[in-house]
Amino acid sequence: MQKGICLLIILMVPFVFTGLINRVKALWAGRRGAPLWQPFYDFRKLLRKGDVLSKTTSFVFRLSPSLNIAAVIFVALIIPLPQQKAIISFPADFVLFAYTLGLARFMLVLSAMDTGSPFEGMGAAREVTFSNIVEPAFFVLIGSLALITGQTSFESIFAQLNTSARYTVLVKSLCLASLFVMLLTEGSRSPVDDPNTHLELTMIHEVMILDYSGPDLAFMQYASGLKMVVITALMANLFAPSGVGALYGIMIFLIVLAGVAVAIGWVESFFARLRMSHVPQFIFMMVALSVTLFAVVIFFLYGGN
Amino acid sequence: MNLLLIGVALFFAAGLVAIPLPQKRKGIAYVSFAASAQIFILPLVIKALLGSPTLNLSVHFSGPIGDVTLLLDPLAAFFMFFISLGGLLAGIYSLGYMKMYQDSDRHSLSTYYFFMGLLVVAMLLVVIVQNALFFLIVWEIMSLASFFLVSFEHQKEEVRKAGLYYLIAMQIGAAALLVAFGWSTVLTGSMDFGALSTLSPAAATFVFILFFIGFGTKAGFVPLHTWLPLAHPAAPTAVSAMMSGVMIKTGIYGILRIILIIGVPSPWLAYLVFGIALLSGLLGVIHAIAQHDLKKLLAYHSIENIGIIGLGIGVGMLGIISGRALIAVAGFLGALLHVFNHFTFKSLLFYGAGIIYSKTHTRNIDQLGGLVRVLPYTAALFLIGSLAISGLPLLSGFVSEFAVYFGMAQSLSEHNIYLNVTAGIGLAGLALIGTMAALCFTKVFSICFLGNPRTSWQGTPSEASSTMLAPMIVLASFIVFIGLFTPLILPFLSGVVKQFCHESFYPAWNEILDIFLEINGALLIFGGLILFFIGLRWMLLRNKTVALFKTWDCGYQAQSSRIQYTASSFACSFLRLAANIVPQKKHIVRPQGLFPTQALYESHSDDLIARWMIRPLVGLLHYFLGLLSWIQSGHTQQYILYGLVFLVMLVIWVIGVR
Repeated sequence: MQKGICLLIILMVPFVFTGLINRVKALWAGRRGAPLWQPFYDFRKLLRKGDVLSKTTSFVFRLSPSLNIAAVIFVALIIPLPQQKAIISFPADFVLFAYTLGLARFMLVLSAMDTGSPFEGMGAAREVTFSNIVEPAFFVLIGSLALITGQTSFESIFAQLNTSARYTVLVKSLCLASLFVMLLTEGSRSPVDDPNTHLELTMIHEVMILDYSGPDLAFMQYASGLKMVVITALMANLFAPSGVGALYGIMIFLIVLAGVAVAIGWVESFFARLRMSHVPQFIFMMVALSVTLFAVVIFFLYGGN
Repeated sequence: MNLLLIGVALFFAAGLVAIPLPQKRKGIAYVSFAASAQIFILPLVIKALLGSPTLNLSVHFSGPIGDVTLLLDPLAAFFMFFISLGGLLAGIYSLGYMKMYQDSDRHSLSTYYFFMGLLVVAMLLVVIVQNALFFLIVWEIMSLASFFLVSFEHQKEEVRKAGLYYLIAMQIGAAALLVAFGWSTVLTGSMDFGALSTLSPAAATFVFILFFIGFGTKAGFVPLHTWLPLAHPAAPTAVSAMMSGVMIKTGIYGILRIILIIGVPSPWLAYLVFGIALLSGLLGVIHAIAQHDLKKLLAYHSIENIGIIGLGIGVGMLGIISGRALIAVAGFLGALLHVFNHFTFKSLLFYGAGIIYSKTHTRNIDQLGGLVRVLPYTAALFLIGSLAISGLPLLSGFVSEFAVYFGMAQSLSEHNIYLNVTAGIGLAGLALIGTMAALCFTKVFSICFLGNPRTSWQGTPSEASSTMLAPMIVLASFIVFIGLFTPLILPFLSGVVKQFCHESFYPAWNEILDIFLEINGALLIFGGLILFFIGLRWMLLRNKTVALFKTWDCGYQAQSSRIQYTASSFACSFLRLAANIVPQKKHIVRPQGLFPTQALYESHSDDLIARWMIRPLVGLLHYFLGLLSWIQSGHTQQYILYGLVFLVMLVIWVIGVR
């Protein structure tokens, strides 16, 4: 029951999450902005529409949206909310987490290439390139947490991480910073990607779904929103002290979610998107942070003797 | 055991029978004999895998050879299973593929089928022979048979070159094996494999390294991998598939057999194997990304996958030296499972590449595109192979990589700094291998099959014949089945994995089995979700209009298929990051003037190891051998003088010294 409620919450928040980012950006720009639930209205509208498909495309293009949304919902089942049990949990489940997102990315890139459009090719080439930096860094990150807690599943890693005061602010803040870079990259937000511009030459994620319409587009947009929420849920887990109740855990999750949305909106209002050739350097920050985290953990464990 | 040998003999007969028959009948003869061989081999092999007592047959020879034992234990049975299956599938595929050589006088299908049969026989014997001398003999037969297969199209100069390169590489590997076996025979006084276990730790370490060099050359570990990207493209496709999917695994077999007999004599060997494997995985896939030649690209992926298998073996060895059952079991399970998985998806991909080649007559993927519309079945099967080789969930590649990851994750919970750091590096490395493989296969699949054709076909290609698709369907069903129902196939591997473990490790096997049951449940949920959303999409679009229109072109009306992204441009943003690792040679002619008449851009990538290690070494060798070239002067008088000098010295030696 409790797990069901958590799932429902995590499935509903993507709409508000993107709505909140847009609202923050609007406020900074001095506008009132669209309602918070606007992404949900868009989603509903798109589901009711028909589809326009490119003549160049094949079955890959039709399969990809369903697979993407299924994959992201599936990884949402693996991530626990703070102080909650995950629906699916087993040792080394972070591998399944990363590889399922990998499968979604694989199909997304194929569907972009399926249209034969050079713009979408650009987006696809960038997407796969950047994933090569993010994913190893993510494994080092989770590896460090596994190392310090002696656990290998998300649920038990976070349960352990929050029981002891041993794991200092340093570990958690390195972890948080690293995850934030991952969020900006995987969620295709500024300064990696600009979700607002419609100049295809500079886009990554938006350009790959350029040819989608109707329910397909709804699936794709929802999947990308949920992906950000899932990574935020990982971050929220770092903030949950042990012993507090389940309800408190959900509150923490929502607060962190709101905080992250504000942070993203803030970054997007004040920072320009990086030049495409400088983006890898930004993402390499995640590698640096994760490797530092690993070194810190090794020092914690073996530095004393 | 006798039944098994009948099966082996049938493969030999398959090649032999094909010789006198007319061109069109040769393939059928080979396939029917190879199929009947399965009836003898598979039941015995499956029984051995499921734990029936090991079969053995000993023949005594007089003199230094001693007993020659043929042994069918679970390890041998595991390899025999897919060697035998691979031999049959290659035959079936050849029925369709070799048609393009059928009417030519310059290509002899007799030698093709004969050496294919011989290759399968040699591989089958390699995994059961337990005597050093006989092992080396069948090992050499295997190398030679595959050499003749590689040189099938020997009229082409590049094929001859590749064949010779392959032969020399194999001889270097065999030389290491010869020294290793010779050394241990001198030390132990016996040629039987069992005697290796009596070596002292120091000698065992030395011998282990020699074996690793010898077997590693066959398997394609870096830096001994340079023959793969040359030999695979040169060989006919069915042969490439057999070499990459099956033959290089005999190298893995050798390493596993040595670990089985002499264990891990020094702890640092485990780290060495782990490190070399990681390097192979990374360098293999980085070089693959830079390739435009489909078969060369697949050859580099073999190096990558051998690296992943090696990582599994390394993790297993780490588990043995640290005495942790779960790590050891996960490592060896991952390695063995990946050996089989690599056989399935790599053969599948090579067969797909062969279909593309036979339909379009090019291996350069930059000239392809849009093939999904003319080869829909090939495309779907190739996609399954691509997803599996990238290790993505729901297919077999994920399961074996997961086992390796699991072993590494377990190593993180030990209190041992070397183990921890190694596991951390391994996690990042394997993740990087995985994403790079995904990059490479999104490139291959989308450039070959998706988008619009980049060149105009000479006549529209049509879907491949059923004899070429059938082996691919068999392999694809293995991939899907293993990916979705792993716990059902694990009992077949329990015997093999347990061979590597002390009895106290056995409970860990059940633990792994439980974890795989959980993953399986999770994956089935995932599959269900996918089906749900496909259904939902169908429901939503049922009564709506689905319009077909052109791809959005930003208002630019003069779309040409040539403005699509190519393989080079797709890989470019990554290769710029990896510019130091993959040396690129560019040849650019810039467009000049207001009405440029010509412009050209070509990029070629080089092999890092070949460039900085192999070629300088060969150059050095050339130089020193060149210093001695005056011996062969071409003057007959001088050669007669050599003979005379030799005779005089012989006379002095006979009279004086004795």
